[in-house]
Amino acid sequence: MNVVSNKWIGQRTIRPDGADKVTGRAAYAADATMPGMIWGKILRSPHPHARIRSIDTSKAEALPGVKAVVTAKDIVDFPVDTPVPLGIQDMRWMCRNVMAREKALFHGHPVAAVAATTEEIAAEACRLIEVDYEVLPWVIEIEDAIRPDAPILHDFLRFEGRPSNIAGKLEHRLGDVEAGFAEADVVIERSFATRPVHQGYIEPHACLVSVAPDGKTTIWSSSQGQFMVRAMTSLLTGIPQSDIRAIPAEIGGGFGGKTIIYLEPVAVMLSKKSGRPVKMVMTREEVMRATGPTSASRSTVKIGARRDGRIVAAQGTFYLQAGALPGSPIRGAAGCAFAPYDIPNVHSVGYDVVSNRSKVAAYRAPGAPIGAYAVECVLDELAEALGMDPLELRLKNAARQGTKAAHGPVYPRIGFAETIEAALAHPHYKAPLGKRQGRGVACGFWFNAGGESSAQVNVTEDGNVVVTTGHPDIGGSRASIANITAELLGIDYRRVSVLIGDTATIGYSNLTGGSRVLFASATVVTQSVEKVITQLRERAAKIWGIDPDAVKWEDGQALPAGDNAGRFPPLTLKQLAAKASETGGPIGAGVQLNTTGAEGGFATHICDVEVDPELGIVRVVRYTAFQDAGRAIHPGYVEGQMQGGVAQGIGWALSEEYVYDRQGRVDNASFLDYRMPVCSDLPMIDTVIIEVPNPKHPQGVRGVGEVPIVPPLAAISNAVYNALGRRFYSLPMSPPKVLATLEGAAA
Amino acid sequence: MYEFAYHKPSSVADAVKLLSADPEARPIAGGHTLLPALKHRLARPTALVDLSGIAELRGIRREGDKVVIGALARHAEVANSDAVKGAIPALARLAGTIGDVQVRNRGTLGGSVANNDPAADYPAAVLGLGATVVTDRRRIAADDFFTGMFSTALEPGELLVAIEFPIPEKAGYAKMKNPASRYVMTGAFVSRGPQGVRVAINGAGPCVFRQREMEAALAANWSPDAVANIRQSPDGLNSDIHGSAEYRAHLVTVMAKRAVADAG
Ligand SMILES: Cc1cc2nc3c(=O)[nH]c(=O)nc-3n(C[C@H](O)[C@H](O)[C@H](O)COP(=O)(O)OP(=O)(O)OC[C@H]3O[C@@H](n4cnc5c(N)ncnc54)[C@H](O)[C@@H]3O)c2cc1C
Repeated sequence: MNVVSNKWIGQRTIRPDGADKVTGRAAYAADATMPGMIWGKILRSPHPHARIRSIDTSKAEALPGVKAVVTAKDIVDFPVDTPVPLGIQDMRWMCRNVMAREKALFHGHPVAAVAATTEEIAAEACRLIEVDYEVLPWVIEIEDAIRPDAPILHDFLRFEGRPSNIAGKLEHRLGDVEAGFAEADVVIERSFATRPVHQGYIEPHACLVSVAPDGKTTIWSSSQGQFMVRAMTSLLTGIPQSDIRAIPAEIGGGFGGKTIIYLEPVAVMLSKKSGRPVKMVMTREEVMRATGPTSASRSTVKIGARRDGRIVAAQGTFYLQAGALPGSPIRGAAGCAFAPYDIPNVHSVGYDVVSNRSKVAAYRAPGAPIGAYAVECVLDELAEALGMDPLELRLKNAARQGTKAAHGPVYPRIGFAETIEAALAHPHYKAPLGKRQGRGVACGFWFNAGGESSAQVNVTEDGNVVVTTGHPDIGGSRASIANITAELLGIDYRRVSVLIGDTATIGYSNLTGGSRVLFASATVVTQSVEKVITQLRERAAKIWGIDPDAVKWEDGQALPAGDNAGRFPPLTLKQLAAKASETGGPIGAGVQLNTTGAEGGFATHICDVEVDPELGIVRVVRYTAFQDAGRAIHPGYVEGQMQGGVAQGIGWALSEEYVYDRQGRVDNASFLDYRMPVCSDLPMIDTVIIEVPNPKHPQGVRGVGEVPIVPPLAAISNAVYNALGRRFYSLPMSPPKVLATLEGAAA
Repeated sequence: MYEFAYHKPSSVADAVKLLSADPEARPIAGGHTLLPALKHRLARPTALVDLSGIAELRGIRREGDKVVIGALARHAEVANSDAVKGAIPALARLAGTIGDVQVRNRGTLGGSVANNDPAADYPAAVLGLGATVVTDRRRIAADDFFTGMFSTALEPGELLVAIEFPIPEKAGYAKMKNPASRYVMTGAFVSRGPQGVRVAINGAGPCVFRQREMEAALAANWSPDAVANIRQSPDGLNSDIHGSAEYRAHLVTVMAKRAVADAG
């Protein structure tokens, strides 16, 4: 839908953050400094599970250079029996995650923090804190945590009347699955496992916090939402939101992992106690041990179809690891799993399982890749059993406008079938395969999201434009907003500056997550620009002495709407800006909305792998991703999102995993040991953008950032099967595992 | 940072004097291994003796039936050297696959060999070619040089000056990279020449070692098939989160086979 008349929408304009990032000028949170600044450091639990009997901080406090020490006593306590939701988080769990309260729940769990004049003194002071622990039995893996005799993490959690590590259950039902399976000619049921993987953002968490003597608090930090930082910090410290100013730093990646906070409330309390600005920067090891990752999972999926390929029933059970405190993305797993298909009878259940590892954080389409992995692998087997092409099977059952999804909605116009049709027609799908190569396909869905956004669009006195929004830009929102503003105003995009405001300078804006940012901010920016255009027409009308309705805005200038309006030379944005004071004052407008209508996003992926059967190495040699973007406002960024999601999916499928040692500690808490793919592991990832505009958005935008990580796990697994004739039901398909399976097959 | 002295001598003699005067002093070449060790407090030398000002440690030259490479030669210099590419192409290829561009432009032959990381590349070439390590005071045969994990025959304060590589008739190298660190999971350097037939295995065990059974097989029949069915015992091999001793034992055979194919 690249409308030919669009001048800027759909263009690969130069990104506003590019020059700063490639020249090293971009200011990340760790770059912030202040006069008088001191350093905060966290003492972390050496045990995976231990009751904290007492903490003696006196020796640390006596160390010269130490200015403040905090423990859980300094963080607001939310009792466990009353939920305090904030977005998808619950402050009962957040207060216990930022600082262990009754118990240390994982190795690396913060138990105290120190601020001192140097990082070395702070580290030394941490060593001087004496914690009296009662070490408790611990449990790491889902299958162990749900055993009846498992050590229980939280006495207050009950499942089916008994103390349990199952913290919650979510269920979607549609039709009658029993009746559906009875109608099926072919039924396939399989079980799957995935491992926890980290978001892997390159910038560790960091903040600089200053609490002034009058209590006014300023936070510079790296996050996916300055308003989330403000709200959570306020709740955890008791400082009113109006006294907290959260300033978003340029962000070095988040992928969902920065939708919660770790350091900010601790730094605030250290600053409040010491009277000094406090800076905290995590090491990579701290990031790996105590932030994110995403859940491990155990799932079982059963799908039944008639001989003609029509799917009649589907059932899924998904156990997801939450980490030490409740809150795994079961909604994404159970909700997205069957969402791409029109299935009359569905039963999908998710279980949230706690265990002694760091609390999971959102990771790109949280939960959805886990659900899709199981479903899309079963579909591959189903296609084989039915003798159908796997894409044709999906096309036959594809959800379309009017389909009722098990997780709730009846779809409006969606572009899912178009992604499958594009894949079927693409040369990649028919390209010959080499020796030991295989091809797999898979599809994926993500909900996408709307929510609260604010924008302010101001015309500068010299006739250019400054747009301020409230979302940290992790996927190209600034560049895209510049394109939209330039398009609507009819001016060159280089005349539009797009800034991210802080919590004091722009209205409330929900965090950067759920693939919502461009959808939501384009909506408020569009309405703001429309208001600005109305003002510009009014100003021109005033100058010309005619009715504002008789003025139109075109190509960056006001013109008389028709011959009857009178004959006046056009007034440009520059000319109107110069006359702004005489014609009524500054020109600008803001809009704040809770946006709705962010319809789901769909993708279909084709993957070719090559297997080295002597080493067990699987290499992705060709990959093409097809995705409905609604409208690609900045195609380069859409492609970047698609490629990035696929790259992360490749890591998840083939190499990445958290490994724990026998003491319940992460054994690979560094990039020397954590197997993240690098450029040389990846092929060029080809992208095909499909544009079926979202009817509920002014530009037709759908979220694009998360869908692309949903299909790869299954697409790669299916390709490996195609290459080897052996199916793998657990990830990662790492070389020793692949080799062992091949040798098992040979023996 | 804790305090230490820094010296930058301009001759081997001066460097050795500085090192022998202070047993806690350490030479530094590229610093790619030593600096991280300092940062993590795994090493706390009292003084660093920077070798970068010593011209005698530089240079790559062919001397008759040998290629002599100075200790300070960077991996990228070895990879791009015409002398090495002409005489021992497998060695140039090996150097060209160490780490990444930054590592190859900084790390040195001497630093890598003196460090003797079990997962390093060069030790396989030194042992697999039967090279001679030249120090400020003696000449050490490769077979006597690598004594264990991160340990060598170098005495405290002894400086590695150069390595003499005999030019083989054939030589080849193959390795599997560790999927996280990209160091060597397991590699094999094979050669046939003045030092006989040699098969050196790196990455698999705590220290680079010769695979004698494969050497004998290749001496009789220089072909990948000759080693294809020789199994390495997993006893004593490394086992970690990336692969068990059994997996590494399996890799020894595959890498040896591929190294012979690489040698042609
Ligand atoms: C990111 C990264 C990836 C890497 N990947 C690989 C890889 O894939 N394969 C690989 O083989 N290596 C790899 N390395 C290691 C790299 O090759 C190092 O540079 C090398 O091992 C050490 O060389 P250096 O010159 O930096 O030595 P330094 O760090 O300066 O010194 C290392 C040790 O040797 C001693 N030393 C140095 N020179 C001498 C000398 N002339 N005489 C006596 N003792 C001396 C020092 O005292 C120190 O103990 C990697 C390193 C990094 C940082």
